[in-house]
This record gives sequence, C-alpha cells and structure tokens, in this order.
Amino acid sequence: MVAIDPILLHILLIAISGTLICTAVHFIPVGGAPAAMAQATGIGTGTVELAAGSGLVGLITASYMYANGPAPGIPPSMVMVLAAGAMGSMVMLASTMFAGSLVYAYGVAVPFASAQVKKDPITGERQDLYMSKGTQGHGLPTICFVSGVIGAALGGAGGGLIYYVLMQIYSPYIAASAAAVAGVFTMGVFYVNAVIPSYGVGGTIEGVHDPKFRRVIGKDVITSFFVSLICGVVAVFIAQGMIA
Amino acid sequence: MVLDLTMSMAILALMGALATIAGCLEDLESDVGSQSNPNSQVQLAPQMGFLHRIFNKAISGEPISNGLSAVIGGTVASVLLSAEFYPLTAIVIGAFVAAIILGIFATTSYAGRVASQTRFKQPLYMDIMRYTTPSIIAHNFIMNFCLVAISYIQYEILGYPFTIPFLALIWGISAGAIGSSVGDVHYGGEREFQNREFGCGLNTALSGRIVRKAESGLRNSIDNVWFCAKFGGPATGIALGLTVFFSSWPTTIWGYTWKAIGIGILIVVVFIVLNRFLEINAKNAYGPYKEEKNETEAKA
Repeated sequence: MVAIDPILLHILLIAISGTLICTAVHFIPVGGAPAAMAQATGIGTGTVELAAGSGLVGLITASYMYANGPAPGIPPSMVMVLAAGAMGSMVMLASTMFAGSLVYAYGVAVPFASAQVKKDPITGERQDLYMSKGTQGHGLPTICFVSGVIGAALGGAGGGLIYYVLMQIYSPYIAASAAAVAGVFTMGVFYVNAVIPSYGVGGTIEGVHDPKFRRVIGKDVITSFFVSLICGVVAVFIAQGMIA
Repeated sequence: MVLDLTMSMAILALMGALATIAGCLEDLESDVGSQSNPNSQVQLAPQMGFLHRIFNKAISGEPISNGLSAVIGGTVASVLLSAEFYPLTAIVIGAFVAAIILGIFATTSYAGRVASQTRFKQPLYMDIMRYTTPSIIAHNFIMNFCLVAISYIQYEILGYPFTIPFLALIWGISAGAIGSSVGDVHYGGEREFQNREFGCGLNTALSGRIVRKAESGLRNSIDNVWFCAKFGGPATGIALGLTVFFSSWPTTIWGYTWKAIGIGILIVVVFIVLNRFLEINAKNAYGPYKEEKNETEAKA
C-alpha cells in the first residue's frame, strides 16, 4: 500500500469534507423568499443560512464528542466525531422542518405539494392536484423532508470531519486554543462550501428529486473539491505560524 | 465540571427552556422589525403603489444579523467575566450592549431603506421609528440574554471546547436560521397576506399587495408582532428548544457511545413520521384544488 504523507492526507480530507458540505446543500429543500410566502416548495429561507445553521449545530455536537474521548487526552475515533456532527445537524434540521410544517399546515393553511414531481417518490401521492393557483408548490412533502435530513447528515459529517482533521493538525502546536482556531476555520470552510452551490441551484432547490439536482451537482462538487483543497492548504500553512 | 445524571438533565432542561424563549423572541424581533424574506414584500409594496406604515429594517440575512448580535453579547459578557463580574450581571450587560447596537443598525437601515424609496413616495414615519425601535431592542435583549446564558452554561459548566463568544455566534446563527425558516412563514405567508383566499398558497399575482389596514386604523409592525406572537414565534421557540435539547439529550443519558447516536437518528425518524401525519392532515383539510382526471373515463 502506498503511504500518503500525513500533511497531504490532511489537505485531502479537508477537500473531501468541503465536498460533503457542498453535496449536502443540494439535498436541503430551500425555497428562499417565495417559500416564506407559501409560493414555492421548501423551507422559507436561503441555502447558505439553513445549511450553515444546521451544520454549525453539528459542529457543536462534533466538538463536544471530540472533547469527550474514551480517556482524557485521547479523542474518540474519527467516525464517532463524524456521526456526532451528523446527528446534531439532523436533529436541528428535522426540528426546524417539523416546526415549519406546523406553520404551513396550521398557520398559513396550505397542503404540502412539490412542483417538481407529479408523485412523491416515497409516499406515491399526487402532488400536482394540491398545488394552488399561481404558486410553485408549498410546504414540505415527505420527499423534501427526507432529502433535507440526508443533506443535514452529510453537512454535519463534513463539518465534523474538518474539525477532526484541524484538531489533529493544530493540537501539537497550540493545545489550549486549538479548538477555537479549528472551530473558526471550520465555520469558514462551511460558509465557502454553502455559497458555492447557491450559484449552481440559483437560490432554490427542492431536494434530491428536483431535476436541478442532477443538472448542477457534478459541476458544484468539482468546484467545491478544488476550493476546499485550497482551504486545506491554507489550514496547513497557518499551522506553520504556530511553531514557536 | 463532572455532573451526575440528575444535575445534567436539570441543566439540559434549563438550556432547552432558555433556547425556547430565545427562538420565540428572535422570531418576534424579526417580525416587529420586518426582517428576512417576508420583508421583500414590505420593500416591494411601495413600488406597487401600496404605501404602508410597517417598519423595514432587514440589516442583513436574519441568521447573520442575529449571529452578530449574539456574538457582541457573548464578547462583552466574556470580557466582564474575565474582570470578575458576577456571571448574571455580565450576561445582562453583554445582552444590553448587543441590543443597543442592533437598535442603532435598525434605525439606520430603516431610514436608509425608506430614503431609497423616495421615488415611490413612501414616507419615513418618525412615530413608527420611535415606537418600534425600543420594541426591537427589547426583543433582541431577551434573545441575547438567553443565548449568551446557554453559551455560558455550555462553556463554564459543561466544558465545551469553544469559548462563550463563539458558542453565542453559532447559536445566534442557528436561532436566526430557524426563525427565518419557521416563524417568518407565519409573518410572510399569513400576516402580510390575510387578504388572500384561505387554504391555499399566495398567488404570485398578489406579490407586493400586503395588508395595510389593521383591526383599528392603519397596520404597523406592533400589530404584526401581536399576531405572530400567537403562533409563528412560539413555533420557532419550540424548534430551537427541541434542537438544543435533542442534540444533547442522547449523549447526556447514554454517554458518548454509538447507542446515543442511534437514539439521535431515532428522534429524526420520529420527526419524519410526525411530518407525514401533518402532510396527510393538511391535504385532507385544504386540498385538492383540481379534480383528478380519470384517463379511462376520458377515453370512454
């Protein structure tokens, strides 16, 4: 087996985690301003806002998992940190979407309907019949909800992975404040990779079933990989400044 | 600090309660100041010839302006804590400073936004600015207090690796994201367009035609927050409260194990099922809007 240089491996892992975050954003059903007025399907906010909001909750759970390893000073396995990030992120997005659905159902009074598919791929229910006049769907049908949860899991895992890698890089140099630097840098990479898909999807996407998903994900993922690679290089470079 | 299970659960419950209040007040602050996506309609109305008396701030995207507010509160509290202030005093002063700064942003953005609409004859109502800005500051103060208190508990008592300002920033952004996703729908989808037909989405043709008359007199943002406090705000609070509670509850009970992760995933599955129930309920209550075409009948 070919041995990979640890620095190169760290950079590659950061690039992969950035790509995971970028992929995640495509899964999250965001309808932007029209969705806030029940004119479009999805959550009534922007891609960056929601992806970052859920991913950052994942970052908190991942960092706490990292700080509570099997023994003091020994972090848990990488998979465990990723899973904790995914869990936190999924819980945030699921509770947000559920509360959003409550408002759509009982506050605004609209049935949930997707404009992109005739039948919900999960429940098999007709969507077009429930789409009111002059709208592009409304609410959060089951497919959007499930797609959002999958996206949150990917985003949270991506955030957890960057945090894990950065802690591995920075801990030997600045043990006390490594978490702060790693946390802020993770947030930065999160925003970078949440913004890239916004251009691809044009601000709104319904989730995995949206034709836009297949159309843009390839280009966005490649872009994100290379941008995250640069972020990884920067992350390693700033560590050099920590050597006393 | 090592806590026993009862104490850990008590702290978690306190954090959940604080988050519920923070989420609710965050959304109500964005409603009284008219921020985020629904504000696009408030901005659009004068261009369509509908002049109004609604506050119009939209400093930036809701999560970002909210994160800014929370991080200022966290930073000031952190500085005061290092000067050995009593924690409650430090958090209160931090929250107050952040709320005042948001108030400054609110007035400048309201004046700036309305000034940019001079050509549409939208007036800048000084009484609206005088009455609404203190309400924005008050709502924001309570939200800042709750979020900085959560960050303080997480950092000082639970031993989270991030500092108070950073935790406050993350919770501020998350609270803003939830407020923008949940409560704003009640403001944008329902309150701004109570003139639309009940039980359906907003027809694109109605864009900008916001309701401008109140139960008595002309509608202003105080009327809007009164309405949104009945449903949109509490729903946002529940979402943030559930997020804070359920993101920590599994690890508090089952430790840092795979079992805890599994329980977290189970919670998400329960949410998916609950959403499905809501979907069925809403479809039965309001739809369908069109008759299903029976192809075999059509052929006959």
